[in-house]
Amino acid sequence: MSHSLHGTFVSEKINKIRWRPDEFNNSHFFITGSVDNDQNNVKLWDFYENEEEDDIYPFLVSTFPYCGDVTEAKFLNADYFVTSSSSGSAHLIQIVPAYTESISLKNTITWEKGHHFKNGDPSSCTGLAVYDNDIITIGEDGCINLLNAKAPKVLRRIDDADSCSIHCVIFLKHNEILTSNLRGQMKIWDLRSQNNVASSTFMISGDQVTPTCLTYHPTQRHLVVTGDDLGALTTWDLRNSTYPVNVLDAHDGGVAEVLFDADRPDRLFSCSGAGQLWRWGTRGAGGNATPDVWLAPDNVKGKLDVFALMPTLHQPINSLDLNRNRVICGCDNEAIYLINGVDM
Amino acid sequence: MTKEVKTFLIPNDLCRRAGIAVTWLPIDQISVFAYERKNIHQKDQPSHFSSNNQTSIFHLRQDVVLFHPILRKLVNESHGVFLAVQTLMTSKTVNQRIELFKLSRQYRSIIRACLENLQDEIMKSGDGVEKEELQNYITVFYSIECIWHLCEILFVEVMPGNLVLTQLLEWIRFHFPKYERNAATMLSGDLTGLESQPEYWETVLGNLLQGRIKVVRVLLRQHSASDSSIFKLVDHVFKAMPLCNGSNGPSINDFNMQWRHWTMDVQSKIDAKLFTSEKHLDLMMRLVVGEEQAWIEIQDQCEAWYEYLAGWLFFTEPTVKPFELGQFAKRSITKMRMNHHMKHLDRVLLAAMEFDIFQVIKEIQYMPENGWFVSHLTDLLHHCERLSSLEKEVENFSAEKLRESFILDYAVTLMGHKSLWQVGLTYLDNCPNDGLQVIELLLPRIHIDTESKALKIIREAKNRGLNSVVQCICKVQGMISMKRGRLGNALSWALKSQDGPFTSFLADKFLQEYIKSGRLDSKDLLDNLGSCMLVSDRLIFLGKYYEFQKLYQSGEYREASMLLISLMASKIIPKYFWYILLLEAIPLLESEELLFSSNDTFTIIHCLEEKEHLPELKEKIEILRLAAARNLSRALTYEAQTINY
Repeated sequence: MSHSLHGTFVSEKINKIRWRPDEFNNSHFFITGSVDNDQNNVKLWDFYENEEEDDIYPFLVSTFPYCGDVTEAKFLNADYFVTSSSSGSAHLIQIVPAYTESISLKNTITWEKGHHFKNGDPSSCTGLAVYDNDIITIGEDGCINLLNAKAPKVLRRIDDADSCSIHCVIFLKHNEILTSNLRGQMKIWDLRSQNNVASSTFMISGDQVTPTCLTYHPTQRHLVVTGDDLGALTTWDLRNSTYPVNVLDAHDGGVAEVLFDADRPDRLFSCSGAGQLWRWGTRGAGGNATPDVWLAPDNVKGKLDVFALMPTLHQPINSLDLNRNRVICGCDNEAIYLINGVDM
Repeated sequence: MTKEVKTFLIPNDLCRRAGIAVTWLPIDQISVFAYERKNIHQKDQPSHFSSNNQTSIFHLRQDVVLFHPILRKLVNESHGVFLAVQTLMTSKTVNQRIELFKLSRQYRSIIRACLENLQDEIMKSGDGVEKEELQNYITVFYSIECIWHLCEILFVEVMPGNLVLTQLLEWIRFHFPKYERNAATMLSGDLTGLESQPEYWETVLGNLLQGRIKVVRVLLRQHSASDSSIFKLVDHVFKAMPLCNGSNGPSINDFNMQWRHWTMDVQSKIDAKLFTSEKHLDLMMRLVVGEEQAWIEIQDQCEAWYEYLAGWLFFTEPTVKPFELGQFAKRSITKMRMNHHMKHLDRVLLAAMEFDIFQVIKEIQYMPENGWFVSHLTDLLHHCERLSSLEKEVENFSAEKLRESFILDYAVTLMGHKSLWQVGLTYLDNCPNDGLQVIELLLPRIHIDTESKALKIIREAKNRGLNSVVQCICKVQGMISMKRGRLGNALSWALKSQDGPFTSFLADKFLQEYIKSGRLDSKDLLDNLGSCMLVSDRLIFLGKYYEFQKLYQSGEYREASMLLISLMASKIIPKYFWYILLLEAIPLLESEELLFSSNDTFTIIHCLEEKEHLPELKEKIEILRLAAARNLSRALTYEAQTINY
């Protein structure tokens, strides 16, 4: 399949876009979550591929009206995904298969207003992370909530986990999470520990940079990459987290999301608020792809190739996801794009 | 300008009784509420309309059709083309005009896609009101496409030899596709006895007027009498018809010559009454030579005067020049007796054909699609340098300003939308005169409900160098955080914009909170202040004081006392905090281990004397003096010993 780009205007800004996982085939279903709309939506789409016309367009399968902006969406498995909302709630949503009628979206659990300020104002739930059935949500109220997809109640709440609003979270291990806050402070939390204190803390930089996304290396989880609102990608080795391993001045505008290619861990995808969508790969890629390149403290740039997957948009690209060799992204110009054959 | 006043009723009893007042809300809304007018001579007392019942406040805003989901696609997609136009103008492309023409076609294809989407939606919607609304949109955007296409031909496209007819016919064919469609259905169906179909002659004539001579000949060949001499003669006439197809055909003079010969030939055949046996063919031949009577006979078949015009020009003025169109257009209108029934679309098209761009813009600016059309078309015409000539003709007219004023209006409309504000922003970027100032006014007024949106807006402000906006937004976010009891977060926002006074204000809050509760909040933040402390003296003090507390609590008294002395010697201690600091000195002065040297103690005593008037110190001043004196004696003794050795 050759490299091809398909854009579709969808009349709402897409904040999150995720392929529905499919272990055996190319995914063709995906979900989108909107932002800044009078009535936001979570939508399920199908990229309908027309063999004859060589034309691909997304076909809207189901719409689920959502309260507040969709701030994050993550799949637990092929049928269930979790979303977080700027209203402070989180939702477990099921893709109900079509035995009788068409496929639809069904809200199975709502964790209502899990995040709120002490004066009663609602707080945005800024993100979430999943590990099996465990779900962590974070919010502007500086709290961390531990949820489980099987329980409609909040299992544990770390109040005042951070004096600033928390913006990103990932699972490092089943019992360990990493959070980052508005001013670039990163904290590692051991979930087994009963006292509500972070097990370690470090700063992304001294200059009040806000990390905008976090991800870990698919094979080496202690290797973490952060993207921040100044467009830099910072690599950390959490075994020694006082200083970053390296800092790449990458994008113009904030990095919106970063994602390693799970099948080829030497590759990384990133998108930015300046409308760029990039694929990073090791130079002279081929058989000897080493994950070490992300760990190399010196001259990483010389070892990396950056490839723009599409012409720079005039508006932020908020989200991207990868399935095999297909990337989808959702943007502030109220459009979604599919890029086929990104390994070309 | 028509001055229509629209009245909106506010459905509220209190408003009806008390009267109403109105105030602007940010960007594009007004708020209406019940209000009783009082003057200064009246007593200041609660209005007798006031009650404890809930009252309503009404927010009104202009209904913007562009915010319909389908039209939002148009807004976003055309935004891309608009930016492409701007980039093209700043680049040094050689064939700018040709590129502009391509972009103009892109605009039109977007309109057409939009029309298609609207059609699809109509199919889906059963509801009467919604359907009517969609139908209205279709009418509006159909007109837009029609006008745009004509303007593209006349003002954007570069025509070889200044011949306009081919394009004009294309335009007509596109907007009156009926005859072509009919011909296609006829020819794809049963061909025997085609003339028996009721629409046969209408279709033949229609295609003739649109200049599709080939289709006409094919249709005539399917006539059951096509073998007769008269049909053959007609076919021969059409076959011999000279065609003027711009650059690759014969030169204009040659063509005119050929054309005159051909018409004379046809005229002589008509005069010889060769066609009279078949009235339709006779009519066609008389049309071809431009006989007045024939054209009067045909005019009822034309839906619009411009359809008639194109056909008439095709046979009588095939080499018509663009600037001659106006007079012919007027003639067609008179012939069709349309003078008094001109609709809006007719007026705009006529103005375009008369090359009265001013009038075109005047007419289209009030079309009910919130300025999308007029701003994009004006922009395009401006870049095609079609407006600059007007500057000489009209006094005080500036093409640049006209373009900007339309784009500005359009952009401000978009800025009022929750989602489309970013699109509006880039339009404002392309207003060189007032754009930045408008952005500066509007950006801080965008409704922010999450921090991520705040960060996005700050980014936009930073990209444009609007530091005052950045500060303003950070301050608002900080104040909101403070109200929510999140001082640490508020401080982060203050530091983000390097706002010294606001940082000091918040540091004061921290210290006052400490005085009240004896507890310092947001330790994780104070722990990692780093260099950003330097923004304000007060923050430095807060940071240092926190450091002192940490040292004290971990039992590192020597370091703690050194820090305390250096703090006292500095000039950054807030007035209200002096006594706390002096009190903190007591246990250190009295500690078993000697912590302060005599010099240090003098510093403390000096501060003490300076601050003794502080009312908070009244009770403790004796203890302090005593502690200081005792420490001084210990220190002096100790120091004397060390000197002796």
